[in-house]
Amino acid sequence: MSGHDENHPSSIGSRIPTDDGRALQRAHRDPYAQSVLDARLGRPARDVLEATVVLEAWTGRPAQDAMRSASDLVTLDGPPVNALSRVDPFADSERTSVISEGVTLVLLIVSIAAWAAPISRELGGDVLGHAIRVALPIAVAIQWGLRSRYLGRPHGLACLARDGLAFWALLLVAIDVPLLFQSGWGPVAAMLIPIWVGGAVLTRRGWGLIYAGVLVVGTIALSNGLQPYAVLGALTAVTLAMCIAAVHSRRERTDARAGSAARAVMAALIGGLLGVLLVADPTLSWGVHGTHPALALIPSVIGSYWGGYYLWNFYDAVPRGLRGVSLKRAGGIGFSDPAMAIFVGALARLIGATAVLSAVVIALSDRFGGTDEVSVFIAFGCVGTVSMLIGLLESFALQWAALLAAAAALATELACVSLSLTHAPGGALAAGATVGVLVTLPVLLVRLARSGRVLATTMWIQ
Amino acid sequence: MTTELRPYVSPPARVGARTRDSGNTPSPTPNDAASTLARGHSGRRYKILMTTEGTYPYAVGGVSSWCDVLIGGLDKIDWNVLPLIAGGKRMRPTWSLPSNARLLRPVELWSEERPPRRLSRRPAVEEMALPSQLLRGLMPWEGDLDQLRVALVSCRVRPQSIRREFRSRESWEGFLRELEELLAESHRQSAPAPIYDAIEAARLYQVLYWVARTAAVPTPPCDLLHVTAAGWAAIPAIVHKALHGTPMLLTEHGVYVREAYLESVRGSAAAAGGGHMSPRVALGLTRAAYAAADVIAPVTEANAEWERGLGVDPAKIRVIPNGIMPPGVPTEPPNAHKVVAVGRIDPLKDVLTMMLVADEVRRRMPQARFECWGPVTPGQEAYGQGCRRMHAELGLGEHFRFMGNTSDPHGAIRGGDVVLMTSISEAMPMALLEAMGQARPVVATSVGGVPGVVKGCGLIAPPGDVHGLASAVTTLLGNPGLARALGRRGHERLHRRYTLTRCLESYEDVMIGLIEGAQA
Repeated sequence: MSGHDENHPSSIGSRIPTDDGRALQRAHRDPYAQSVLDARLGRPARDVLEATVVLEAWTGRPAQDAMRSASDLVTLDGPPVNALSRVDPFADSERTSVISEGVTLVLLIVSIAAWAAPISRELGGDVLGHAIRVALPIAVAIQWGLRSRYLGRPHGLACLARDGLAFWALLLVAIDVPLLFQSGWGPVAAMLIPIWVGGAVLTRRGWGLIYAGVLVVGTIALSNGLQPYAVLGALTAVTLAMCIAAVHSRRERTDARAGSAARAVMAALIGGLLGVLLVADPTLSWGVHGTHPALALIPSVIGSYWGGYYLWNFYDAVPRGLRGVSLKRAGGIGFSDPAMAIFVGALARLIGATAVLSAVVIALSDRFGGTDEVSVFIAFGCVGTVSMLIGLLESFALQWAALLAAAAALATELACVSLSLTHAPGGALAAGATVGVLVTLPVLLVRLARSGRVLATTMWIQ
Repeated sequence: MTTELRPYVSPPARVGARTRDSGNTPSPTPNDAASTLARGHSGRRYKILMTTEGTYPYAVGGVSSWCDVLIGGLDKIDWNVLPLIAGGKRMRPTWSLPSNARLLRPVELWSEERPPRRLSRRPAVEEMALPSQLLRGLMPWEGDLDQLRVALVSCRVRPQSIRREFRSRESWEGFLRELEELLAESHRQSAPAPIYDAIEAARLYQVLYWVARTAAVPTPPCDLLHVTAAGWAAIPAIVHKALHGTPMLLTEHGVYVREAYLESVRGSAAAAGGGHMSPRVALGLTRAAYAAADVIAPVTEANAEWERGLGVDPAKIRVIPNGIMPPGVPTEPPNAHKVVAVGRIDPLKDVLTMMLVADEVRRRMPQARFECWGPVTPGQEAYGQGCRRMHAELGLGEHFRFMGNTSDPHGAIRGGDVVLMTSISEAMPMALLEAMGQARPVVATSVGGVPGVVKGCGLIAPPGDVHGLASAVTTLLGNPGLARALGRRGHERLHRRYTLTRCLESYEDVMIGLIEGAQA
């Protein structure tokens, strides 16, 4: 450093013993100072400054005296200490039981699936199909945006209560009001959006079962011939009221920040594309095939939910797995390292659960009037997979890659539809989702094969 | 008036060598100096960029109070305040800035904010990636400061490349290789470095990323850079100086590196490698700040000792003690056997020792009462709870009361007979000056600049010496005459040496010297 004067009487360097002087060093040690160091540190001092600080703070020696003593107290040779890092467990106090969330999800799908027949009967199949095609992408987009900014974070609901509720309410109004002026499908779509978006908020709050109960009541009302607009209107009102109560009951003093708005917009865009992907295949006539057609969604939704939930282990397992790993191995490839192990575990859960549950639903399809087309289950399985992978990319702050993958999936699906490349139900959706998977997988595998890298460059630098 | 002041104006290299007391020319009044500051060479008001770290205007404490007094006192200067704060939390300023100051958008460390985008040509292929350059500049015992400066400047010039570089595989792997080599290096002032694991390496990598992000923060044009701590707050100033040649004043209340070491020592049982990394980064930042500063102004000679010990050219150092506006005629002590402490509930203040002192004093003098004024430092809530537990375990009850924050420290001190300070680390605490202003005797620990201030107006004991501190308190409570005499001496000493006017004049002197020296 410029201006460093080795001969200056107070310079630390001027009092450091040379290699030859180490025997003298021990002879000069001040036993009292040594005992203070031992007591305060419980280990040898790492350097002269550390020893100086201890002596100054706990013996009251002036800096110069402390520096003089300290230089005699640092052991300059000996093996380096093998230190293990501390890893704090990742805790999210707002995350409730996985079982409860899973049951909520199933009840939600079953209830909505059960609406198809009565609504189609009263309003016409086209009205419901059109409403779902409009409402689903918008609802998914809002859910992704909400999750990015609030729901996917510790204290997310408190942040939403503090600074976001008015905005999201206005957004819903801005989307819903124009829809209400569309005849037929418009009002239905306008009511489905808050019902679905509200489900995400209520599930996060831990009120999913109550919400599912409300949906079941609505389903019973519809099945008993009550007017669909009235039932959906009531469900919308109840859901919104519950949302407000859920968020406000989480209003607590928190100085946590919500997620970045730019990132939330990007997440909403990605979610929107995935939503469009889900409804763009015309061979899937939403809500008009059979009594409970949306039951085909259950396996993939549960599978991707289980897989996605397992991915939360990243925050805990990756740092813990890297504890004690040497620097040499920190940059290397390790297929059995925690990052890859969790990823493979999540993928296995998704695929396994989807396959098994699909077989069950197909087997029961005759009893419930659901679809038994295998291609539809495959298509939904592919969508579940690509959604999970794109979600992982987004959580790694690789939003452009996620957007590209979603766009590639949608473009493929639309190409298949317009060129009539496939005629199997859900064939275009399956093709699009498969392309999405193929785009995302290499990006993820390159990172996940190196746990050290994924932690240092992807999880901790967003 | 400008002509009159000229003798005080000297080129940066000479400013530190001169002290106000040694000059023959009479000191200007604050108004005289302010008039000069108002005009400058070109008749415009001078602009100073003040950088702060975790203090003004977001936190309460000695440094924040001092910043506010300085800005308000030098009201003919236009100040831009650039605070560095921890991200991820919503922070609101606790201070409203004087009208001559503007708060810039804070630098939020560890936040989700992306670096700014700026169109610039792609960087030429560097021999070493940015993370490795920063590592080489910051982490060795004596880092390559030139390389560090170049790396920091490149962050400012090409902010959009920081994130990309840090997220690349090549940078991470190069960083790991460099770190391994660096840890194997030996130095004659340091024991062998601990063996880092992947987690610690990733943590260090993240720290370096935020160093780069801090360097990328744009700084407005100014005539002087005023850095208030030799750590992170120095980074934007170092870059600004490298790009524009603006002179830089570094004021140190505590010694940054010393406090970083102290922090790591206190947490050493829990953190393993972390106990090595944090102080090393602090040392690197401190050395870089010292090298870039034209004048270093510690508040006490005790800090100057540290700075010289860290290799600073003594000619750069100018000690400027803190000062306060002396309150009027002091009131008589209440003779209530009351001991008052004013300061945050913080491990550095060693409140646990304070309670042990209270425990011992009440055994000797049951009528003694202790009042501890001050909030728990944000982030030290666990320590605050520990203090409460110990209070209960000792059964101190009404003998020792936590009074909470106060907006009137003078009033709190006036209500006591003796002022107690048990800190294990201090520079030049305002609480001492406030005690002297109220003519109250002080019992304090012999840390930092405390012995120099308390000389002749209080009693000193080593830090952690419960018996010594308790004896001092008992002596003063039991001898009101002695206590009053020491209090009066403190009051006189404050008027002689530690007034706000004198303090502000000294800063003006240094600032004018640096600004006009650079413009000459």
